[in-house]
Amino acid sequence: MSSQQRGGPLQGVRVLELTKVWAGPAVGKLFAYLGAEVIRIESEGSLDVTRTFGVDDINNAPGWQSVNPQKLSAQVNMKSEEGIELILDLAARSDILVENMRPGAIGRLGLGYERVREANPGIVFVSMGMWGAEGPLSYQTGYAPCFAALGGVSALVGHEPGAPAGMNLRYADSTFGAAAAYAAMVALFHKRRTGVGQFVDVSAVECMTSMIGDSIMDYALNGVVQDCDGNRHPELVPHGVYPVRGDEWVSIAVRGEEQWAELARSMGQPELLEDPRFSTFALRKENESALDELLVAWTSELSAMELVSILQRRGIAAAKSLSSIDLVADPHLWMRGFYRDVVDHEGRAKTTLGPSWEMTRGADLHDAAPALGQHNDYVFGEVLGLSEEERKRLAEAGITR
Amino acid sequence: MSALSGIRVLELAENVAGEYCGKLLADFGAQVVKLEKPGCGSPTRRLGPFAPAGEDPERSGLFAYLNTNKHSVELDVESEAGQAALAQLLGKVDAVIDDHNVGWLASVGLDPAKLEALYPALVLCSITPFGGELPEDRKHAEDLTVFHSSGWGYHTPTSPDTSLPPLNAAGRFLPSYEAAMDAALCVVAALYERDEKQLGRFIDISTQQVMTSRCDYVVAQMVAGDMPISTERNAYDLAGPAGIFPCREGYAYIWMSTPGHWAGLREMLDDTAWMDEFPENWLERGCTPERVALCREHVARWLATQDKHEVAAAAQKLGLVVVAVNNGRDLQASEQYQYRGYFAEVDHPVQGKALYPTVPYQLSETPARIERPAPLLGEHSDTVSDILEEGAA
Repeated sequence: MSSQQRGGPLQGVRVLELTKVWAGPAVGKLFAYLGAEVIRIESEGSLDVTRTFGVDDINNAPGWQSVNPQKLSAQVNMKSEEGIELILDLAARSDILVENMRPGAIGRLGLGYERVREANPGIVFVSMGMWGAEGPLSYQTGYAPCFAALGGVSALVGHEPGAPAGMNLRYADSTFGAAAAYAAMVALFHKRRTGVGQFVDVSAVECMTSMIGDSIMDYALNGVVQDCDGNRHPELVPHGVYPVRGDEWVSIAVRGEEQWAELARSMGQPELLEDPRFSTFALRKENESALDELLVAWTSELSAMELVSILQRRGIAAAKSLSSIDLVADPHLWMRGFYRDVVDHEGRAKTTLGPSWEMTRGADLHDAAPALGQHNDYVFGEVLGLSEEERKRLAEAGITR
Repeated sequence: MSALSGIRVLELAENVAGEYCGKLLADFGAQVVKLEKPGCGSPTRRLGPFAPAGEDPERSGLFAYLNTNKHSVELDVESEAGQAALAQLLGKVDAVIDDHNVGWLASVGLDPAKLEALYPALVLCSITPFGGELPEDRKHAEDLTVFHSSGWGYHTPTSPDTSLPPLNAAGRFLPSYEAAMDAALCVVAALYERDEKQLGRFIDISTQQVMTSRCDYVVAQMVAGDMPISTERNAYDLAGPAGIFPCREGYAYIWMSTPGHWAGLREMLDDTAWMDEFPENWLERGCTPERVALCREHVARWLATQDKHEVAAAAQKLGLVVVAVNNGRDLQASEQYQYRGYFAEVDHPVQGKALYPTVPYQLSETPARIERPAPLLGEHSDTVSDILEEGAA
């Protein structure tokens, strides 16, 4: 049982992270935000690149801070057999172990599923790989944009058919983490009911395909390979992102005849409703470029706020395309408490992202990401029950470094 | 028996977000009872892609995909009789999934604010574009507008031509699928606690927050003041020559960020004379726009002569990261997907057999499975009386 009493549905659950960079830590972050105690195992000899790359102070590294709030940090030298034994002891006292090391690396460390299962038959062992843990391509590695390209996502984003540009290159890691977290949660539920643990094998590329499942169904049913087509949508027209004053953009999506009529009235051009080019949905799709041109001529004269407010009042989906300034200043995200302060290891307030949800009796979110080894005493003393003397010996021998 | 066997979920949702959430639960064995409007059913039954066989409302491939393993019951919850039946059902299910507009739940007698008093053991999950508190100027939303409210839209694609508009996400429903994952995670977490404490809870998922969270590595640094914010459309980007390039047929994505990648590229190319002008560590320490442009020019010329799959395999062996930009056909042909059984044949009584995409995780003890195709409209309408009688006995 964890000593951390923060409430939330997963209070009392313990998660061990042997993760790197973003996707693996995203799993632990979601569990921490649901109330679990999440322990990141760190080794001084192979620190996470987000702690070190281009950073002056490993304990205040911005990238590290962003995906590890509310976690604990305990140091173990994974190059020592005694260190591996410590991790196995921790695994024996944990519910979930998450790893996203290079293919095969965890096994070479002596922490593969078979060995961890011997230490804890109930463990939920989550393995994350670009292609998953097994199969002819499982040896391959890549970065987030590779997942998106391989999984079919990139091909569907581009201004013109046949010219894919892909999503923003930051897309994929956090999605991969969310899918792994859900699978781990289901396995944890099974463990609570039956005592039986299991191996959870998550593929980043498959995660991407799951985000475009309906497009893939078109190939399954009809042999149709869908292609990128700017901002067009088969069921909504107009559907796009339109320029407004001041080099800004507004996204607009119009559904059905009634909204089309409201749009034409908003534009002050009710005659469009009589225009033979636009009189039916099919015709508006056929003449979408002409319709977009008329729309651009109108939107270009307005400010983002004016345009959004006119369209929303008439029941049409419209939203400013938020730049990073707009996003960080978004009053709604502040009001929801999505942007919120946590307290770092030196007692300073630090703003970070909260969970994507609000829930009754949710977990408290209080601590910023941990300093290296901040929780060594708690983890080795209280969780493992090692005496002060023994902890001192381990530290001096470089096992907990 | 799969992990969620014995869990009963009532699906009030009628959009992709809620239906996908229900599918994530149903594919692990939960009994998901979908309430559909008599006669026409869920609006997703009228959305494509459509199967060549069959007639409305049973030919939607979208509905077939989103509703595997579920039960369909025709019930108009907006009618008086429907609400009475709904009230009875709510006492006999573990969880409810909804994705209607804010306020709709209260209108059918399930006000989240009164949940604890009315149904203390019920897990109620609502997925909405902006969460339960809704500003005036965000009442109407579609996946496109939520994507652009999350920061992703403005920064899509990477390294944009700024004379062209920012783009939508891949496909029609990416934000909905993303929101569904967080919803399913929260629902099972809530059921986990409920197993012990017999307490339900209200879960309010904001798709805007889900999508913004999917870029937490960047946005959290921005709100903390550790990364510059701006009106630049490349504010999320990293400098470098990475990108998508045309191949002999189709496209490949190449990533280069380390001296190791640079060395790998040198081994792949026939003409390497131009590389001698570059410092060996330029990708880490000297990524100037001029070098990036020159590098991209040479990479483009080279990749244009290559087969996307062959060049990717060769590059992997040399530590250079090149991957194919796959499409639906490539994925179905993928030996890796076949090995893992990512596609599963589903035999739909109206649409016939097809290879459906499944889930991205394999569980050794309780794998997700498609046991039954999506239900025909009202196929399980009798289930309601079974459920109601069960408790009365």
